[in-house]
Amino acid sequence: MQSETGPAGVVTEPTPARASRRARLRRIMIFLAATLGPGFITASAGNDVGGIFTYSVAGAQFGYKAIWPLIPIAVALIVVQEMAARMGAVTGKGLAALIREEFGVRIALATMLGLFFMNTFTTSAEFAGIASASEIYHISRYIAVPLSLLLVFFAVLRVSGKLIERTFVVLSLVYVTYIISGALAHPDWAEVARGSFIPTIDTHDPAYLGTIVALIGTTISPYMQFYLQSAIVEKGTRPSGLLALRIDVTNGSILAIIVAAFMIIANAATIFVYNQAHAAHPITVTQASDVAIALAPLAGKFASSLFAFGILNAGLFTAAVLPLSTSYLVCEAFGFEAALDRSFREAPVFFTLFAAGLLLGAALVLIPGAPLLQLSIASQVVQGLLLPAELVLMLIIINRARVMGTFRNTYSANVICWATVVIVGLIALYYTYTQIVAAL
Amino acid sequence: MPFQEGYLSEFVGRDAVLASDASHRSVGKVVDFFVAKPDDAFPKIDGLLVKTQGGERFAPVRDVLDIDARGAIVLRAAPTEPAPADDVSLYLIKDLFDKQIVDVDGRKVVRINDLEVANTGGTLRVVAADIGVAGLLRRLGLNKFAPQLLERVPRTLIAWDNVAPISDANPSQVNLSVSSARLARLHPSELADIIGELSSQDAARVVGSLDDETAADAFEHLDADTQQAIIADLGEDRAADIIEEMDSDDAADLLGELDEDQRAALLAKIEDRDYADELEELVEYAPDTAGGLMTTDFVWIYPHRTTAATIAKLREIAPESEFIYYLYVADDSRKLLGVISLRTLLLALPTAFIHKLMDADIVSVAPDTSAEDVASTIARYDLLAVPVLDDERRMLGIVTVDDAIDAIIPEKIAHSLPRLVRHHARRPPVAK
Repeated sequence: MQSETGPAGVVTEPTPARASRRARLRRIMIFLAATLGPGFITASAGNDVGGIFTYSVAGAQFGYKAIWPLIPIAVALIVVQEMAARMGAVTGKGLAALIREEFGVRIALATMLGLFFMNTFTTSAEFAGIASASEIYHISRYIAVPLSLLLVFFAVLRVSGKLIERTFVVLSLVYVTYIISGALAHPDWAEVARGSFIPTIDTHDPAYLGTIVALIGTTISPYMQFYLQSAIVEKGTRPSGLLALRIDVTNGSILAIIVAAFMIIANAATIFVYNQAHAAHPITVTQASDVAIALAPLAGKFASSLFAFGILNAGLFTAAVLPLSTSYLVCEAFGFEAALDRSFREAPVFFTLFAAGLLLGAALVLIPGAPLLQLSIASQVVQGLLLPAELVLMLIIINRARVMGTFRNTYSANVICWATVVIVGLIALYYTYTQIVAAL
Repeated sequence: MPFQEGYLSEFVGRDAVLASDASHRSVGKVVDFFVAKPDDAFPKIDGLLVKTQGGERFAPVRDVLDIDARGAIVLRAAPTEPAPADDVSLYLIKDLFDKQIVDVDGRKVVRINDLEVANTGGTLRVVAADIGVAGLLRRLGLNKFAPQLLERVPRTLIAWDNVAPISDANPSQVNLSVSSARLARLHPSELADIIGELSSQDAARVVGSLDDETAADAFEHLDADTQQAIIADLGEDRAADIIEEMDSDDAADLLGELDEDQRAALLAKIEDRDYADELEELVEYAPDTAGGLMTTDFVWIYPHRTTAATIAKLREIAPESEFIYYLYVADDSRKLLGVISLRTLLLALPTAFIHKLMDADIVSVAPDTSAEDVASTIARYDLLAVPVLDDERRMLGIVTVDDAIDAIIPEKIAHSLPRLVRHHARRPPVAK
């Protein structure tokens, strides 16, 4: 304020502590944000349609012995997610940007092509979930898929992303029904414990190896690392916030694994156990609605509806997020304009990639006779096959002092992650080999 | 200098050979280019970095004689000098290739795909950054497989004097002063858009390189989250300097978002103690009321002066003041007596007295008047600003028309993008 008498403040009584009320509101917001942290949300997003189908079929087909792989997978998941979170907090850059800056155009292009292919395939798994849900109600997929495509377009372009995300996370509570249903099915808990902690490898069933690869691919999906790191960069978390971040990531991962384990248990206790007893007339799992039986101990005749709701929620959310985030990542790596509030003319690459990912994903499901369940699981197998490549890139970057400073990987994180690369890599190579041999 | 112009990607990886060796055996590969003074509008390339068996060696540009038939770079003498240290100079490939820069002319954050260099009167200079698809394709080697095809891809080049690099990892690598001078050419709201597009680490670095006034102008257009992230990185001393340059209403909004300890620490660092006291009072008001919107930056004058004397006084005090279109007439008790517009003041006779000219019929609001009511008052009476008075009609501040508009225009729906992607999005002006 300027005055003729020189600088002099205007003195008034301060109004009752409004500022402290604002500060309190802020603290509540921080608390909410911490409980719904990026790690938690990413883990929930990992329970997409491909995940639900993979866990369900694994439980139905192989029983409780499909649980034990989840334990080493959980360890790897926590380590890998922590790495992505740390890279985001330390560098303030997304994984796609780091890969471009550290490895140049060629590797960035290869990575982005792989990511686009993989994510589009997974998008089709999401539409497969939507189609399966509609077919439970005898609605043709040729009506349901185009309708949901329109819904997703509208949601992405018009509705707040935060709102979509929150709605999804709340609706994801539906997966708790698997925990209840698994318990109500009265599984033989001794069998469950044995299946969880004693590793057994089924060498007779050729489908076993594929199931393992799909379990790895759906639990440690490559896109989840990109998603988590971007979320942390967007949140602006700093290395000083790493402890909270680690807690968030660990909680999210453990929760995701528990839900996954109970999806397997619920299916094993119903379908697998029934098939053991009725070998003559087994329940054959050929389409998605078959695995809805796993929810019958809880929901009875409403099992199908509950199941349909679950996969519809997962399918719609992931279909809304995946093509969009893929498009952002590609544009981030190559420096193209990317923002939903631009016009098509301003950001042509961004909108083209987004539309292409979404439409291709939906189109794959609309091929007449496309087997929805198998297609979904195949997309998770592809994720498992490409995971080692992503982990190698992450490992190289996270061990560079120039990028990470004192936040480079610890020895134990390196050992666990390299072990994951080698083991998953060997399984992936062997699986690919058996597939090629089988095809010949 | 054997060539006129070209792209650096076409020279990286070539063999270096010696003129004295007739068989042109490779002595190493060209891996980078070295600039000693990156501040120039079009920086001069001083040398090549050649990776030899004995390690990385520096070859001055004047030693480059020719490019032979196989495409190898012919040097006058074997490169023997060790590579200059990283932190005193700029390596074009290592420090700039694939990195983000601000295109000051196009006002966006982009990535460098390639660099165009040209021979200008005997010196080799960086002239432009290639940020387009053609640059990407050239990096992928299309110029070797299908040069005709590459020719047909339209190029997107930014002249180097419009490029503001955002250095990372090692901030001393690139002198940011040139960046800040170029960024200061942008309108504050455009600069804020660009800062909003950067990661918070980069944003803090860019803001840190700006002068206080430019930083303050840009800060006023940033949303609260970005402001806080940057303040945390800048440190209290620098943050207080910037806050001191901000309009009081924006500064108070910023301070109101901080926790009490942080706010107290920042206020303590503000040099102008009176201004710090004013800010402390402003923070107490809710942000969506007249008290939260008002600025204390107004001019008040005595009623018993002549217009000539008032104008003379105004020349003295007004340069510091943003809003001088209305002058507020008050006595020593600070009670508002009337308002006079700059127009009335200028058009009146020099000998006329202020209290005869002023409008004593004052339209005002209370500090707890809602933002909507403030805006509709301003709209109804066609005002540029409305005074905020306490119960005893003492003047607390003014709400200007632009702040009132900002407060009532809803945020754009498109502002709310998925969490994954928000930081890339251009942020519309944030409603206060």
